Amino acid sequence: MVDVRAVRSAARLEFAQLSRSRPLVLLVVLEAITFLVLVSLFGLTGARAPTALIDYDRTPLSRSFVEHLDAAHHSFRLLPMPIERANDEISSGNIVAIITIPKGFSEQIRSGGTTVLPVTVDNVDADLTADVREALPSAITAFATSNGFPGVRVSAVEHDVIDHETGYVDYLVVSALALAAFVVAGILGAVAITREYEGRTLTQWRLAPVHTGWLLVGKLIAASAVAAVAITLAGLIVVVGYHARPAHVSGAIAALALCVVLFTSLGALAGALFRRTLPVAALFFGLALPFYVDSGALEPLRFDFERLWTAGHFSPLYSAIGVLQWSFHGLRVTPESLAQNTLVLALWTAFAVLVAAAVLSRRVVRA
Amino acid sequence: MEEHAVLEIREVTQKFGSRIALDQFSIAIGEGTVVGILGPNGAGKTTLLRLASGLARPSSGAVLWRGAPVLAPFPREIRRSIGVVTQETALYDELTVLQNLRFAADLFEVQRGEERVGEVLELIGLSDRVKDRAGALSGGLQRRVALGRALVHDPDFLILDEPTLGVDVEARHALWGHVRWLRQSGKTVLISTNHLDEAEALCDRIVVLGEGRQVAEGDPADLLARTGRLVEISCIAGAVEPVRELLADIPGIEQIRVSDVGLTVHLPHGDSPDAVVAALESDLVQGVRVRAPDMVEVFQALGRRDG
Repeated sequence: MVDVRAVRSAARLEFAQLSRSRPLVLLVVLEAITFLVLVSLFGLTGARAPTALIDYDRTPLSRSFVEHLDAAHHSFRLLPMPIERANDEISSGNIVAIITIPKGFSEQIRSGGTTVLPVTVDNVDADLTADVREALPSAITAFATSNGFPGVRVSAVEHDVIDHETGYVDYLVVSALALAAFVVAGILGAVAITREYEGRTLTQWRLAPVHTGWLLVGKLIAASAVAAVAITLAGLIVVVGYHARPAHVSGAIAALALCVVLFTSLGALAGALFRRTLPVAALFFGLALPFYVDSGALEPLRFDFERLWTAGHFSPLYSAIGVLQWSFHGLRVTPESLAQNTLVLALWTAFAVLVAAAVLSRRVVRA
Repeated sequence: MEEHAVLEIREVTQKFGSRIALDQFSIAIGEGTVVGILGPNGAGKTTLLRLASGLARPSSGAVLWRGAPVLAPFPREIRRSIGVVTQETALYDELTVLQNLRFAADLFEVQRGEERVGEVLELIGLSDRVKDRAGALSGGLQRRVALGRALVHDPDFLILDEPTLGVDVEARHALWGHVRWLRQSGKTVLISTNHLDEAEALCDRIVVLGEGRQVAEGDPADLLARTGRLVEISCIAGAVEPVRELLADIPGIEQIRVSDVGLTVHLPHGDSPDAVVAALESDLVQGVRVRAPDMVEVFQALGRRDG
């Protein structure tokens, strides 16, 4: 027999408790949205990679070929441009490939000869390179069929930008270090502060003749140290287990240390703003995967949908992954330089620490 | 105002939105005195103590430290002179007693911290509990640790917000002993409570606060003189009115009201309850008890007399 009264009382109690935990409710709602964003991101990443098109032939047939390239299942976003600019763009990481339609392309096709189609690919990871390799023959076949050239013979000649290829898993696990730092250091940094609110011990900080900002820094150092141990273990697994040996060992150590300090500080900021552990934990777990996917964790974000790349700049993981991929694999995965990414990480850290200190130091309650 | 006021709150109003927590309230706390703020929950006691601690700024009015106006947060040298025990013990539950006091000593930059922590542990009688986790202590012992934490930097001025809230009688009297020791040591103490007996036992002066306003002020004897005593009468079923008639001709009774068990008679302070007790020698009466008024009754009594 259902005890309706007990059920109703418990329901009332839960509603009352939730109404007292508005940040938690808000963040749980936001988390549901972030999962939607996450699914969308998985569909969008890898689509319409920016690709330079150089058409020296400029005939109706070459234009027909370009149309078929364009239609090749979300693979390319063709950007007509001169060869000089294309070379600049590919070396700065702005585009994924250069497709060149040579002069005499139409004549060769019509005469049944073999046409060489030069394709330059930024083979920053094997997955993306394979995408280009697969998409081109598909477009060529479609083009030949629609123009009635059953015997057409076109072969692509690939010139790699980077002298070594990076395995997709190797690429992902290095990105995952940034994600691990985000979650572990973020939660530790947050809890270091939320505990002070939840235990009401922050009042003692405010009564003491010391600046709260220093107490914050002391806590962040301890939290960062613990987080660093956890990330070091994860890093060792990447090196030993996945054989992803750092191209720049000291750079890798510095990059991981910077990530840990940054994310601990961001955690502390979130802790200072939300004051409770549960909402902050929900926030970090909710943000982790969208930040991860929209930060170039799976491939350089610049090769993705333009808006994803723009949005990625709001994620601190974007620069973190840029620095980590450089230090582990010697790759430049963002148009921004290593120095710029490092500076961004340092600025994020300074911002988080200063704002958290300001929030914690807000000693006075004015009506 | 007192000549040697350590802290003075002058015509302070504190608003939270449309709610007025303190309304044009003034108080001066003289050097070496123990001043009690007495009032029910929601009277504005904690708000007043937050202003005195430098944890809040008033909406209007002034806070003066040794005659000079100060704004919260107080300067460091003033913060070094103040020790605060908040209503919540706010200890680090997962840390030991010793770690809690050490942290407080570090926060207040106490010289010879270890030595001072040892002295404080001795003072609060917890030298044998130093390794106990604070969270595992009883409420009364946690209050003693909180008091020790407020004393660790040897402040001149102590602010104690309901220090005996939620503790048993034994722990309460132990804490009273510590406050008396503070008074003997010449410390200035501002203490809030909602127990009249506590204020009477500890304070040189009592300010009664109600809905953010001062209801009454005076030394404990003066206040007791104004609140009187109560006689609780247990009556047999249906005998309330006949018993009330038994008391009708007794002079000096301020008020008779019906209670859960019978009647409550209010007598002015100094009047003997003997006449009332003698009049109640009847089969209609099951029992008689003479007691001091509780907080609500204090307010009723002061309200009757003061306005």
